[in-house]
Formats: sequence, C-alpha cells, structure tokens
Amino acid sequence: MTKKAEHAIEVENLTKRYGDLLAVNDLSFNVRQGEIFALLGPNGAGKTTTVEIIDTIRMPTSGKVNLFGMDVTKSKHEIVPRIGVLPQGFSSFDRITVKETIQYYSRLFSCGNTDIDGLIELVNLKDKTREQYKNLSGGLKQRLGIAIALVNDPEVLFLDEPTTGLDPRARREVWDLMLGLKEKGKTVFLTTHYMEEAEFLADTVAIISRGKIIAMGSPEALIESNAKYLVLTLRSVDEKAFDIVRKMGFESVHDNHKDIRVRVEQMDDVQKILNTIQEGRASLLSLDVRKPNLEDVFLKLTGETLHKEPAGGVAQ
Amino acid sequence: MNPRVVGANLVVSLKSFYRAKPAMFFTIAFPILLILVFGALFMNQDNMSFDLCVQDLDHTDSSSQLVKTLELEGKFKVIRIEPSVNAAQYTRDNKSSLVLTIPKGYEGAFLQRMALNDPDTSVTLTYLYDLSSSLVFMKIHILNWVFSGINQKMTGVPPFIRSAETSMLARKYRFVEFFVPGIIAMSVMILSLFGTVHLNTELRQKGVIRKLSTTPITRTDWILSNILYQFILAVLSTTAMLLVSYAAFSVSLQINAWLPVFMLLDVFAFVGIGMIITHFTKEAESAAAAANAISFPMMFLSGSFFPLEMMPGFMQTVARILPLYYVNEGLRASMIFGDHMAALRHSAVIGVFAAVVFILGIIATQWEEDQ
Repeated sequence: MTKKAEHAIEVENLTKRYGDLLAVNDLSFNVRQGEIFALLGPNGAGKTTTVEIIDTIRMPTSGKVNLFGMDVTKSKHEIVPRIGVLPQGFSSFDRITVKETIQYYSRLFSCGNTDIDGLIELVNLKDKTREQYKNLSGGLKQRLGIAIALVNDPEVLFLDEPTTGLDPRARREVWDLMLGLKEKGKTVFLTTHYMEEAEFLADTVAIISRGKIIAMGSPEALIESNAKYLVLTLRSVDEKAFDIVRKMGFESVHDNHKDIRVRVEQMDDVQKILNTIQEGRASLLSLDVRKPNLEDVFLKLTGETLHKEPAGGVAQ
Repeated sequence: MNPRVVGANLVVSLKSFYRAKPAMFFTIAFPILLILVFGALFMNQDNMSFDLCVQDLDHTDSSSQLVKTLELEGKFKVIRIEPSVNAAQYTRDNKSSLVLTIPKGYEGAFLQRMALNDPDTSVTLTYLYDLSSSLVFMKIHILNWVFSGINQKMTGVPPFIRSAETSMLARKYRFVEFFVPGIIAMSVMILSLFGTVHLNTELRQKGVIRKLSTTPITRTDWILSNILYQFILAVLSTTAMLLVSYAAFSVSLQINAWLPVFMLLDVFAFVGIGMIITHFTKEAESAAAAANAISFPMMFLSGSFFPLEMMPGFMQTVARILPLYYVNEGLRASMIFGDHMAALRHSAVIGVFAAVVFILGIIATQWEEDQ
C-alpha cells in the first residue's frame, strides 16, 4: 500500500556487487519531495548503478530502497506508473517517428489522456514530429527521451546523465526543462559528472566517489563547509612566478603549463601575491578571483578532478 | 496481459518492418526465389530423358530400326556418331558419359536368328562409358532393360511374370508440390528464429529493453506481441509463396486448417528457441551465429528440400529428432496427401516440443539487468 511520505526516495545501506567489484558501497540518503537531487561524481563512481536500482532496472545486493514509502524490489508494479525514467544512453526504435514513439510509450502506460502535442512542445520538438528516431541528432534524441519519461505525468523523474554529449545550447535547454518540471512540483533525481549542472540545478547534491557518498548537502553548504577560501587564477605566468607563490607558502596547482590556481583565504592575500610577483619581476598576463565551486570541493575531498575525460565526452 | 500494450507493441513492430524496405523485400522474396529456382530446375524431373551417343557401324535398316526403338522408348535423346569417328576420343572430347556401338554385321546376325531360328547366333553391342559420371549406371540400366524386352519378344513366348501397378494416390504429386510445404516450414522457422534473436539482442544492446523495463509492459505482453508479429509475417510470407506456386507451377495443394496450425506451432517452437539463444548470447553477432548454427543443419537434415529416403540411414534417424522434420511432414501430410491422422500425429510431436521450448524461453527472457 502507498503511504504518504515526506521523502519521495529513501535509501538505506544500499550495496551492489558485480562479482568482486563493489560498485555501490553502503549508501544511505533521502530525497525530499519536489526537490532536484543530483548525484555528482566522475565516470565509474557508481552513479548509474545507484539510480538504476532506485528506478527498478537493477536489483540491489543488499540494503533497502523505498520509493513513495514502498520497497522497490517488492512493489515494482505500483511504483513504475508513478515514475519517469531517462536511462543513460537512451535509445528507441529506429524507424518510429517522434510522435509515434511518444504515443507508443503513452499506450504502455495506458494513459489515454496524455497531451502528446503538449509534450512535444515542452521539449521543443514541434518541427520534428514526423522525423524517424534514427534521423534525430543526439540532443533531439535526448529531448525525446525526456518527453517519453513524462508521458505518465510522473511524480518522480530519474534522469541519468541527461546532458552528456550535448552542446552547450542543448544542455541549457535541458536545464530549463528541468527547472520547469521542478516548478510543477516534480521530484527530479539527476546524475551528472558536470559540476556546473549540479550547482545550477540541484537543491541537494550528493558527491559520490568509488561507490561511496563522500559529502551531501545544498551546493552552497557543501562549498561553504569544504572550501572556505577564494580561488585566484594567474594566467600566462612563468616559472619564476610559480616559485614565488610557492615560497610564499600558498597552496597552488598548475592548471595547464601557463596558468596556476592558488587558494587564498582573503582578498588581502591576492594583493600580497601580486606585489611580490611585481617586485620579483616575474611575468603575468592576467588574473581572476572567484568563489570556490563543487569542482574544488570534489578536488579537496578526493584529491581527484571530476573530469578525467574532456567535457562532453561519452560517459561509460 | 494487457491487450492495449500488446497492440501498441505489435503496431511498432509492424511499422518498423514495413519501413525497413530491403529487409521486407528479402523476407518475402527469398523463399519465393527458392521456389521459383528449384521448381523450374525439377519441373521436368518426371519426364527426364538422357543423352545417348550411338555409333552405328552396321548402317543397315535393322540397325537403324534398333536406334529408333531406343528413341521411341522416350528415355533417350539419341546423338548419332559417324562410324569413322574414334568412340573413345569422342567420349573424352565431348564429355559424353556413354557411347553405344552397334557392330558391323548386326543385320546379318539378326536375319540369321530370325529366318533360320539359330539360337547360337547373337550380337554384342558395346558400351564405352565414363565411370565418373553419376548418370552412367542409370543409362546402362535402362539400355539393359530395353534390350531384355527385345530379346524376350524375339523368343515369341509370352512373359511369365507380369506386373500390375496401382498408385496409392489419385495422381502422382510433382517435385514442386513436395517442395513448397518444406519451404513454408523452413521460412517460418527462419523468420521466427532470426526475428526473435535480432529483435531481442538489438534492442537490448541499444538499451531499449532497459527503458521498457521501467514501463508497465510485462514480459508476457512483450513475448505475446512478438509471437503475433512473427505469425503475421509468417502468414504474409506463406501467402506470397502459395500465390507464386499456383501462378508459376499450377501446383495442386490442399489448403486447410492444418496450415495455420503448423505455422503457429512452427512460430512458437522457434520463437522459444530464439529466446533461449538470446539468454546465452548477449551480443547480436554471436546470437545470429548461434541461430545460424541451429537453423542450417535443420534445413538440410529435416527433409525441407529433398525426401528423407535420399539420405543415409543414420541421417534419417537424426532427422526424426529435429523439430522441423515434424512441421515438414505434417504440412506434407495435410497439403499433399490429405492425411489428417498423420497431420495430427506430427502436430502432437511438434506441439509438445513447442510448448517445452516456449516455456523455457519465457523463463530465459530477462527484463532486469543483473549482470
């Protein structure tokens, strides 16, 4: 039986093993109704395994997952009509058109009252209704996938890396779509390896690394508690400038061979560094100072960067 | 089971099939081509005549009469070779398998036998033949049979043993009529087996099955719509084959309720096998290879193309354990001989087989991804 729960999703000690590989290691977290929850982590961290257990595609090895207060392993039939899923690398029938595909999924959910034209408009595919799936670009396929995930007007939406492989404009459109869904009161569970996506969209971010959640909270709180510093980027510096900064005792890293990133506590430190570089006659073209972001948080917590591959690459 | 879901799935499958024009063409055209090629090839099998090279060294009225008798027998198309030609050389040069030589003095010996009734007079005709030809012994056999008849007649005594021939059938069936039911059974097998394997592996590889597993469609809905889809394709393909067979060869086959029954059992059996294959082979390529490994031997060993009597004894035993054999024999029993009891027997065997593999197939079909 369905019970009214404050949390749309409750995950308790979730573990998944594939033979000797521990893909998900004892995860526990809750997702509130109506929020956008982002599971942020690099490829291979366990994001997809986690989301696929919650949205009933996979079975857990141990632990408990409740959706709307129901156990996902026991109440699949009751849960499925209330969720919408965009799986990773979504694909559909090659020779079926956009409109026919949405109609097909709507029939699977026995939704006689799906506003198919409204959905097509929502995901901005009006000009492509008669186009067969195989002729759509990556971004259009992804948007169709989101429309399909919405055919049953779900309460919770699972989007597994919805913007991977999309160009910046298409990514922005998907973001707007997600914010629109949140306004309509939907709960959105999102996985991503783009920190700016999580930071821009999510109410709650869970950072996952090697199958474990290493930090969780709102993006602001995560940054606040894990990165109490400013990030100073010095561009086109020479080796001399790098030595000067290091000798001054600041933590610094090479961003590429010409730029360095320096963690500073306050604005006064920026002035000190600039003066010393000037006095030492070292070379520097430009600089910027920014607040830390989730990437910095991830770097601090794991010692690794989120992107082991170029942004926009295909996730595994 | 939800009829609305089954219907939606069926519509998507049929639209995909209709829009993949080359696949649609070959699905329908391949069995038709087989029927046209083999039907034409064996059209005159019943009135088959052999080439026979004859060298008449006697060159008399009596020897010409003998050659004419051979021609009138209807089994030979006689090619006359000049007496001056070297028969052995001729055989080699013209790749002819047998040269019959009538010796000089044939007429003299013939007259002596007939006029003087001299039992010691005889004549020897020579066969110069190429052992490597498969037809040569058949030719020799027919020649000996014709000459025995002539010898018997010359004795003037009526034959002692006579034969009375009565056919079990109202009329003799032709090769193409034997062939068409076999091709129907084979193409329904290929459609169902490869269709299932292709559909399941391709959609699984692309992730469509993963998406479907998050919708209310059940395994039963999915399998049922696949069965219906394969059956509709089987009906389309069989109708096309029968129409072509009637138009091109004026076949005389009985179309009755057994035809859809055997088609349905054929579909169930091979969709079941297809589902089992897809369980064990995850990639589309290896699944197709496994389907080939099952279907090709079945095609040739179960008597789809040729009567089982043409095969060695142990192969006939092998044929009887192949499911396709019972579809072939059941369809022939009903379509050629109108033998309903035999059709019932064969349908019972393939029915039990289909039920077992289909249930195993359902068990083997997974929705959840647990690897």
